[in-house]
Amino acid sequence: MTHVYQRLLSLYPAAHRREFGDEMRAVFDEANHDSQDKTAAVRASFLAREFAGLIAGALREHVRVLANFDITDILSTRRFNMRNGFRFPKSTAILMTIILLGVIMAIQKGESIANSLPHVNPQIPPIVEGHSALLPPIALYVAFFYALGLIGWIILHALHRSGVHRLDDISEQTK
Amino acid sequence: MESLPLTEPVLLILMSLAGQPRHGYSILKDVERMSNGRVLLSTGTLYGALRRLLDDDWIERFEQEDTSRGRQAYRLTPQGRRTLQMEVDRMKQLTRLATMRVASQEK
Repeated sequence: MTHVYQRLLSLYPAAHRREFGDEMRAVFDEANHDSQDKTAAVRASFLAREFAGLIAGALREHVRVLANFDITDILSTRRFNMRNGFRFPKSTAILMTIILLGVIMAIQKGESIANSLPHVNPQIPPIVEGHSALLPPIALYVAFFYALGLIGWIILHALHRSGVHRLDDISEQTK
Repeated sequence: MESLPLTEPVLLILMSLAGQPRHGYSILKDVERMSNGRVLLSTGTLYGALRRLLDDDWIERFEQEDTSRGRQAYRLTPQGRRTLQMEVDRMKQLTRLATMRVASQEK
């Protein structure tokens, strides 16, 4: 995991890596060592939080270096903020899974009905499947977007747990 | 630049450093403890905050005898302590006002 962390750390601007890179890796090593005796779920949550936090942090630092402003100054007032009102509960994930299964079953049922019908126009040859027999192409597309949504949700969840969404929740009032 | 009101992670980081100088991992654990496990900072989030707090001169590096690069400690500057005190005062005032308003509704 340290190897993966090191790779992600290289996403940061060089100046930030020089200043904090060794410290960040050392802190990660300690936290990673601590998480060894935790449950698989806690450990997975820890790693997701670390890696998502690292990617978000690298993006923030690059914007700061390139544009000379802190992205969080803008995000503090206009950013996407996962507040209590914004929830992506487990029930939604289950519902998405049920919908996906329903779509796949409907497509398969439709194909079986189509295959059972006699060919009314003998000049048109029957459709030959050019893709996987396991899943029709449309179902593959649906599965792809579903997986994409799931990954997005995992990243948002990890960011939420990392506290990054609260880090810059500051008002217009200046010190 | 950080400004008031402070975000919860920043407030917890400053509170963590208010008592004694701490290095990164110690801050992470202290923040987790103070928030009863509700705020779990990643290293990316922590060091993003530390970098901004250093830039704002609210914290400074603190040299310890046994320090290696990975055990760099940080402590509050006088300006950081003043800011923390201002935030605490602001929250006290807000809490007092909220308590009064809630009590008046209950009567």
